[in-house]
Amino acid sequence: MEQHIPINLKNHINARHFLIDLIYTILISALIAAFLTFTGITTKSFIMNLIVSQSFGISFCSIIMFLLWIFKPERIASLVFILAIGVASGTLIGLQIGSFILRQFFFITLKQQEKSLFQIIILAITFGSLITYFFYSQARLRVSQELTQQERIKRLSSEKEALEANLRLLQAQIEPHFLFNTLSNVLSLIDTDPASGKSMLVDLIHYLRTSLSRTFPDSITLDQEIDMIKAYLNIQKIRMGERLRFKIELPDAVRKHPFPPMLLQPLVENALNHGLEPKMEGGEIMIKAMEKDDLIRVEVMDTGLGFSSFEKTGVGIGNVRERIKLLYGEKGRFILEENHPNGVRVIIEVPKQ
Amino acid sequence: MTYKAVVADDEKELRTYLKSILAEIWPELIICGEAKNGKEALELVESKRPQVAFLDIRMPGLSGMEVAKRIAGLCRIVFVTAFDQYAIEAFEREAVDYLLKPVSKERLLQTVQRLKNQLDASTEPPAGLAEVVEQVLSKLPGRGGTDFLRWIRTQNKDSIRLIPVEEVDYFKAEDKYTLVITKAGESLIKKSIKELAQELDPVQFWQIHRGMIVNVSRIDKVSRSLTGRGMLRLKERPELLTVSRNYLHLFKQM
Repeated sequence: MEQHIPINLKNHINARHFLIDLIYTILISALIAAFLTFTGITTKSFIMNLIVSQSFGISFCSIIMFLLWIFKPERIASLVFILAIGVASGTLIGLQIGSFILRQFFFITLKQQEKSLFQIIILAITFGSLITYFFYSQARLRVSQELTQQERIKRLSSEKEALEANLRLLQAQIEPHFLFNTLSNVLSLIDTDPASGKSMLVDLIHYLRTSLSRTFPDSITLDQEIDMIKAYLNIQKIRMGERLRFKIELPDAVRKHPFPPMLLQPLVENALNHGLEPKMEGGEIMIKAMEKDDLIRVEVMDTGLGFSSFEKTGVGIGNVRERIKLLYGEKGRFILEENHPNGVRVIIEVPKQ
Repeated sequence: MTYKAVVADDEKELRTYLKSILAEIWPELIICGEAKNGKEALELVESKRPQVAFLDIRMPGLSGMEVAKRIAGLCRIVFVTAFDQYAIEAFEREAVDYLLKPVSKERLLQTVQRLKNQLDASTEPPAGLAEVVEQVLSKLPGRGGTDFLRWIRTQNKDSIRLIPVEEVDYFKAEDKYTLVITKAGESLIKKSIKELAQELDPVQFWQIHRGMIVNVSRIDKVSRSLTGRGMLRLKERPELLTVSRNYLHLFKQM
């Protein structure tokens, strides 16, 4: 578990944390002084022990915090190195400060006896390392708690995004304009051309049934999706007459591949609504599916009005892009480009599942 | 007196249908022309001078509303639409006549009655309609000036691509042009930083320098340099961007 937590202590070096750690240091140093006095490890008085341990403690704390603040180590090796430097230089400086205070205010000179000095240094390094390790694990704990918190927020927000995308999908599925226009056509065709009216209604039923059943996306195959788009285009063909032509290329190799539902439909709908319907002479829609290494690539091309018609809109298309990102991350692709000689070409690539 | 009308709809079947029920409930009305797009509708009204025009709202070329704006004083207008929520609400409010597709006989009967009354009283067609339509148009989504740029048009090898603005890390001025920097790479576009600053959503994009606009969601952190300028780091990018003093206030609350 520990291995997964990056050492990101740099965010924790600020004035507030410094003060908190300093107060901890002072308390712990006092405890150490008391411990040393009462166990008799040193023969000095409590006051002396307190002064020496405080000088060491405060030196350690300040130097380590300062070094961390300056160097902001990101790798564990550099962090350990900084901590070691901190303990070493803290020992030296703490010793100087401690003996300075004792000499100045208490007129006690630390005897230059090897043994006594050596003992102080050993104690300082031992306790210094222990306490540093204590602070270090505290900070790690803090970082890991924050990380879990961030992870949680990230997970929740991505769940929320997925939910929102689903909702938008549901709303986008049946465009009211399309539905009512189709029904008007059917109503009229009942009198003028019952056979066409009937086939339009059949296509509408097919379209509605498939798109409604895909509200909670199960895995479907590419040809099922194309089937629904065909029904949609048949309806539009009756509405627009000569103004709409369409072609679909679906090789057998990709027919039965699983494909996320409702990715293609918004692209076709967009090509119609923004590209061909507003264009006086209408045009053509071409859908081309193919295999490309371990990807399925589908292109939707139209010869409509082109980019100018949706530089500031294209909501449906934006949803498709978002969904590909949500479903496949970096592995999926969404490209929107100008079609030659006119219109728009959308290319989507999704990994074969 | 007999009256003349034109019917404009891009769908042939729907023109036929409207004509057939009109023939049933207002047999004296002469349909003097049919239009399958806005331009034809405009020409028809100008040449045939009908008293009534039935205009589908969504038509290629000129929309029904745009046609209405130009012919407002010439004849009475009845809008026909399958579903245009915003427009319908406004029409309700302003007492503009409209029909919903599929057109029902009962509803058309009401409209016809009203038209007959107005025409028989020989009042002038309301010229104020143009203003009402103008107002409605300006409030429609995607038409007013409040929409922000959502796609950036870039040259990519031999093709022109649209990339969504959310994918842009930042924009950087390069002479008269602008460099668009995304995770996938860089490309030069013809729009200037100044134009972009006006067209992009100011909540999503902040200008941090005379020649630079950043995507707010990509900002990692901002720190003060010793000279008082801000240094901005973006997520997953190595470079440091300079925030000039004039724009530092943007980061005060962060």
